[in-house]
Amino acid sequence: MAVETAERPAAQATQPSAVEDSGRFQRYRIRTGMFAWMMHRLTGVGLVVYLIIHVWGLKSLTDPTAFNALIAKYHAPIYKVGEFGLLVAVVYHAMNGLRIVLIDFLGWSPKQKKLFVVLGIVALVLIAVGGYPSIYSLLAHYGAV
Amino acid sequence: MDLTVKIKRYNPEKDDAPHWESYEVPADPLDSALALLLHVKWHIDGTLSLRKSCAHGICGSDAMQINGENKLACSVLVKDLVDDSGETVTFAPLPSAPVIKDLVIDQSRFFEKYRSVKPWLINDTPEPERERPQSPEEHEIIEDATKCIMCGACTHACPSTWADPDYLGPAAMLKAYRYTFDTRDDGTEERLDIVDSPDGLWKCYTIFNCNQACPKEIDITRWLSALKRRAVTSSASTAA
Repeated sequence: MAVETAERPAAQATQPSAVEDSGRFQRYRIRTGMFAWMMHRLTGVGLVVYLIIHVWGLKSLTDPTAFNALIAKYHAPIYKVGEFGLLVAVVYHAMNGLRIVLIDFLGWSPKQKKLFVVLGIVALVLIAVGGYPSIYSLLAHYGAV
Repeated sequence: MDLTVKIKRYNPEKDDAPHWESYEVPADPLDSALALLLHVKWHIDGTLSLRKSCAHGICGSDAMQINGENKLACSVLVKDLVDDSGETVTFAPLPSAPVIKDLVIDQSRFFEKYRSVKPWLINDTPEPERERPQSPEEHEIIEDATKCIMCGACTHACPSTWADPDYLGPAAMLKAYRYTFDTRDDGTEERLDIVDSPDGLWKCYTIFNCNQACPKEIDITRWLSALKRRAVTSSASTAA
């Protein structure tokens, strides 16, 4: 029987506290599924930030001069890079979104890795075709083509 | 071969926080990962604490994080661990659970979630004279899900669980699937009331860490998806 004294409280001596090893970020091996999800989250947050900037830019629609000035700015190389990044984010998010829909609605969970590869190839093609104008004008800007 | 075995140690009576310790362990490629830990415990440092019982992948006691991934220590061979990580094998307790000592976690939260989904047959019709029969075809629907040994590898591998300790997690919801899709069970609505919630099905983002971790290779995500579809088509969810 544990005797409680001033020096040694019985509860403490018999029940050392457990250490909590929690938190949303854990070291864990990244496989296809988690990689797909992390990129989905990253592009999703990126697109939300983009939409806020985009809608904020649209407020100049009421003033023709301001609108033209804004559009002129968008021809700068940095916006071409941004345009390409936006395309990558949209295409990835859409293709992985389709993958999740197929998994959740059609029960295609056993094919999730294959889906990631196939839709990834589709995404790469879409990015190559859709991104050609921005990359071309970027190269043209620096005299590379 | 000689392996370096790194173990995340924690003694609540001495340590403020867990720390890594290394041991040199002789091993055969066909040894289980559990054999490495038992070599450390029996021949190097007897103070090492871990849970194990049957050591044959039935009891589900020794789920832990091995080489950065949740596995059942008795069900994984040394040759499959050194293939992809060289001559070092790391052992840590299951992530995002309170650690009691070394590799032993406090499972109370895990089993609370399990109990919360009512993991038993709900059927108020009068008991038949003999058992309630189930055809092989009816059993086929839930067979994969019945293989669960409650080791906790899946739930503690899930980023949704890491971020939200109240998230029911794959293990508990797989049980909900197993009973909801049991043709002898009438508890669909009361069970959906529990899993069709922000801390339930809808925090499953199809990350597939649970499938990857499951030592019984259960396609957990597939059955949770089926449960999601049942939740959106049932009268219980449309009434809410």
